[in-house]
Amino acid sequence: MRKILSTAFGLAIVAFMLAPLALVVLFSFGKSALMTFPMTGLTLDWYRALLSRDDFAGALANSLIITGTVGLVATAIGTLAAMFIARLRPARSATAIFLFGLPMMMPPLVLALAILSLFAMVGVKLSLVTVILAHLTFTMPFVILIVSARLRDFNPAMVDSARDLGAGPWTVFRTVTFPIIRPTLFGAALIAMSLSLDDFVITFFLIGGGNTLPTLVWGMLRTGIDPSINALGTLIVTFTVGAAALALWLTRQRA
Amino acid sequence: MTGRIRASWRSVALMGPAAAVLGFLFLLPLVWFLVVSFYRVQLFQMIPDASLANYTKVLADYAGPIAFTAAIAAAIAAITTVLAFVVAHMIWARGGAFGAFLLGATLLTLFGGYLVKIYAWRTILGREGVINSTLVGLGLVKQPIDALLYSPTAVVLVLVSYLLPFAILPLYGALRAVDPVSIEAARDLGATPAGVLRDAVLPLCVPALATSFALCFLLTAGDFVTPRLVGGTQTFMMGNFIESQFGLRMNVPLGAAMTFTTLVTSVCVIGAAWAGLRHFLRAK
Repeated sequence: MRKILSTAFGLAIVAFMLAPLALVVLFSFGKSALMTFPMTGLTLDWYRALLSRDDFAGALANSLIITGTVGLVATAIGTLAAMFIARLRPARSATAIFLFGLPMMMPPLVLALAILSLFAMVGVKLSLVTVILAHLTFTMPFVILIVSARLRDFNPAMVDSARDLGAGPWTVFRTVTFPIIRPTLFGAALIAMSLSLDDFVITFFLIGGGNTLPTLVWGMLRTGIDPSINALGTLIVTFTVGAAALALWLTRQRA
Repeated sequence: MTGRIRASWRSVALMGPAAAVLGFLFLLPLVWFLVVSFYRVQLFQMIPDASLANYTKVLADYAGPIAFTAAIAAAIAAITTVLAFVVAHMIWARGGAFGAFLLGATLLTLFGGYLVKIYAWRTILGREGVINSTLVGLGLVKQPIDALLYSPTAVVLVLVSYLLPFAILPLYGALRAVDPVSIEAARDLGATPAGVLRDAVLPLCVPALATSFALCFLLTAGDFVTPRLVGGTQTFMMGNFIESQFGLRMNVPLGAAMTFTTLVTSVCVIGAAWAGLRHFLRAK
């Protein structure tokens, strides 16, 4: 009896977390413009409506540019830092992880407004570049966390033996460390990309002009009922959840 | 000597870029934002100053909204942390296929769809939404219930749903680190399951419980999208007031002062919650 109750509670919580995403995906294929049950039929019309919007291609291109750049740069910078942090003594590495993790705790609104006012003071013009720079702050901690965890449970004897055989640091990285941590790096990059692609608040304040997929959702929400918003939401959820699922699979391979 | 110099150059090369991101794109903007909160505004121009006028104005005009924001954020953080602990404990204690399923669902909903989730809730809770149309369709109510949407309850519901995965993961991490030997020992000494939970498990989870609470509290206190989309006119939170200082009203120093007042209030509430957790959940 207790077990049945606990299972029911677990399922209810999963439904509570998943329901909004599931409904958006479901209704993006629904014939009726209203999101009500029973559904009257299936259609791809809302996807056609979305693709025929003038602002969709630009938003998609901006999202791809930002997401791709942030994924690459955050992974590169975060991995370098993780290689240093993983070699620190436990107390120091915990401090470093805490310090670099601070941007994860900061509400995105505060991060966005602080960066916005600094850029305004320095005279930096808002563009995709400012969005990319701001996205580095909250994606990098995830990369550092994931990669340093992987580096810590990795056998240092392999690096030592490569070094004893006369390999320089770069050769050691290229031939020993990198091949071992490659799946983790892809995983970390995908997580960074998923976070960047999904961000609305920071992008909204720092993009200046133009749209990304989430800011396009915001714009469409203000113009009233438009079911192609479900199609757009489904695209965002597919990209972000798909990237995260792939990342989890990649980083789990070792376990 | 050259070895040490080379080693320090290597640390700079490894840490430099990440430190630059943290320093120039996180710490420096926050310090500048704090400086700006002491400036004043004249004819839409910021004038350097060292005045507390913005803070006096925030405390005089926005004490109500700050208290409301802190109260709703504390409620959301408390509900989310408790539910998340139950789920995390279920994943940890049950394990197996069901545990893996719960963990998988948590990880998948963690990423993706902040804005999508919020607007989806709008269509779930709305007048023509899934809940109302089902209730009316089943004949359980005659009229759709308007109060589901555009109320503080809607904000609580939406944010708890959004924040749950963020709270579950640190708690599950803490539970996984609990030494099974100490659980066995407690059980062998005759402790009941509730006793084991209270005396052996919960005290070890205090840091993770505090982290979950802090994360949920801060993300709520700084949110302006959820109250805007599902809160209606009665649920204006500090995020909305702050955001409006950067839009229509264009008073950056006042917005900065609001932000830091909200942050300081948040840190106080989180500190109190942490002290409370430590006091009530300490090992006996």
